[in-house]
Amino acid sequence: MAKNLSGDLSVASANRLVDGVVVFLDDAGQWTTRFERAAVARDKRGGEILLERARAEAFGVIDPFLVAVSEDDDGRIEPISLREKIRASGLTFDAIAAEAVRYA
Amino acid sequence: MPDTHFYRYDDYDRTLVGERVEQFRDQVRRRIAGELTEEQFKPLRLTNGLYLQLHAYMLRIAIPYGTLSSRQLRKLADIARKYDRGYGHFTTRQNLQLNWIKLEDAPDALAALAEVDMHAMQTSGNCIRNVTADHYAGAAIDEIEDPRIWCEIVRQWSTLHPEFSFLPRKFKIAITGSPNDRAAVRVHDIGLRLWANEAGDVGFEVIVGGGLGRTPMIGKTLREFLPRDELLAYLEATLRVYNRYGRRDNLYKARIKILVHEIGAEKMREEVEAEYAAIKDGALKLPVETIEAIARQFAPPALPHRAAVVAEVEGLKLEDRDFALWLKSNVAPHRMAGYRIVTASLKPAGAPPGDASAVQMEGVADIADAYSQGEIRVSHEQNLVLPHVAVEDLPAVWRALGRLGFAEANVGKITDIIACPGLDYCALANARSIPVAQRISNHFAGLARQHDIGDLKIKISGCINACGHHHVGHIGILGVDKNGVELYQLSLGGDVDFGKTAIGAILGPAVTADKVVEAVDAMVHTYLDNRGDGERFVDTYRRIGAQPFKERVYAAV
Repeated sequence: MAKNLSGDLSVASANRLVDGVVVFLDDAGQWTTRFERAAVARDKRGGEILLERARAEAFGVIDPFLVAVSEDDDGRIEPISLREKIRASGLTFDAIAAEAVRYA
Repeated sequence: MPDTHFYRYDDYDRTLVGERVEQFRDQVRRRIAGELTEEQFKPLRLTNGLYLQLHAYMLRIAIPYGTLSSRQLRKLADIARKYDRGYGHFTTRQNLQLNWIKLEDAPDALAALAEVDMHAMQTSGNCIRNVTADHYAGAAIDEIEDPRIWCEIVRQWSTLHPEFSFLPRKFKIAITGSPNDRAAVRVHDIGLRLWANEAGDVGFEVIVGGGLGRTPMIGKTLREFLPRDELLAYLEATLRVYNRYGRRDNLYKARIKILVHEIGAEKMREEVEAEYAAIKDGALKLPVETIEAIARQFAPPALPHRAAVVAEVEGLKLEDRDFALWLKSNVAPHRMAGYRIVTASLKPAGAPPGDASAVQMEGVADIADAYSQGEIRVSHEQNLVLPHVAVEDLPAVWRALGRLGFAEANVGKITDIIACPGLDYCALANARSIPVAQRISNHFAGLARQHDIGDLKIKISGCINACGHHHVGHIGILGVDKNGVELYQLSLGGDVDFGKTAIGAILGPAVTADKVVEAVDAMVHTYLDNRGDGERFVDTYRRIGAQPFKERVYAAV
């Protein structure tokens, strides 16, 4: 059961400059590709502060922004919007492999 | 196999593209070093075709008029393998998109492209984009003249054209040389149709103000017949009028179609003709020698005489049902007896439409070398075309394409779906396209059933920008986001066949993602229950109207 669907919980995200990969700001102020390590802001003011921190650490990333997330009873967070779920988890289908001759 | 049947770069082209690559290399270096902000850098990368999508940078590579040599296709495969994840997506603009390019690798990828006379310029931005053409150009039995000659002339004129590099909005030109439009010319900013008048002179019908996107419009004919040598002056006049009067205050009203709609075709014609009168005898009037020099580069390959009827082909047709179906749907007449045009379907059951792996690209290049004069075309329907295949080679080509997974006998059928990348990749999308296409493709995978259903074009877009051409699908599917839920709006009756170009009508309320297959299935059953002799899906729809489809769809979902 999600505890918070209102969007008050948020994480900071961006795309990494050199390769465009999706990254999230962690508690140490580092950009990580692992969504589960993202620092979570728990209210609107916390979100503003998190975004300020993200912007201050933005040298190697592009245009940080806040992603609304929900949290389940076990403390696992998940983006609320499908777009951000896809950004965090990747394609929702299996892309063809480089050496593939048939789609499987 | 040398590239002898279409335009090859001269020193001017090579210098221009080479300098551009080095310029971009320096811009990338400065961006990574922090000397340029993203705000400063973004327009620079976009003018080189480098977008930032959801997960990564995407490089959109221009394939001029959809024509590739085997050498070029191999290079695209090589770039996909070396700098991306080993596959690419052929688009409705006859381009190739690589979805996982790293910024730091982009200059090397562009340098590799330049080695085979290719680039990614003008695949973004408010400029004249890559000119598209009939994918059967140079081979079609109904062709009056090879449109690629004129595409190349337009390419040379429009590349880095200083006056038209900052238009109110992007600008797309399509050219067909056949009466049977395969280039969707009536839904482009400018569509050009070559035709011969009663005197036997060949010229252009100039169609202006078509387009899809948020406000779909069918283009209006500004000139019934324009002499060929006056093309560039007329285009320049049209672009100049658009540049002067096109709206820059509202992104959604900035395309030329809105200008033509707001001032009317008559007024637009007056303005263009006035501008044209002032410049038509100037530098843009094309000398015959210039046209001929470019035309020579598109001289048809010297195809040796080959048998028009081949016993092995006739025999295999009787023995193998899949081959017989493939001949019916994927093989088209050629202007020369003894030859055919073969479409390699990039839509095997359940595959992302238009995607090809590096190995598949190389495989198609090998087949082109062995059986199609080293030539390949990209269709706006996201397939690859082998334009010059001898009849007696058809069994070998069918088998070779089969080994690549590209011999599905479904061209023009219900699983030959056009789909944009959608929300899985695209930063603009509101909903997914590819998974929806996959579910429909798997549901209708049986070839016998597809051929029984007959010609039926499904086109899917993940947002209102309509890269998947949903407005002109016999069945159009538009993904929308409503309060965080993906919904799909269905439309019926769209078409791009010449003379019958039509924008589809919305059927009713949008359906959820899990109901799209049921909805399409209900439409198909409505058609099968009502079709008359020889009627395609869209013909039946035109005859009986939307109501029977609507009743069945909404009863099913």
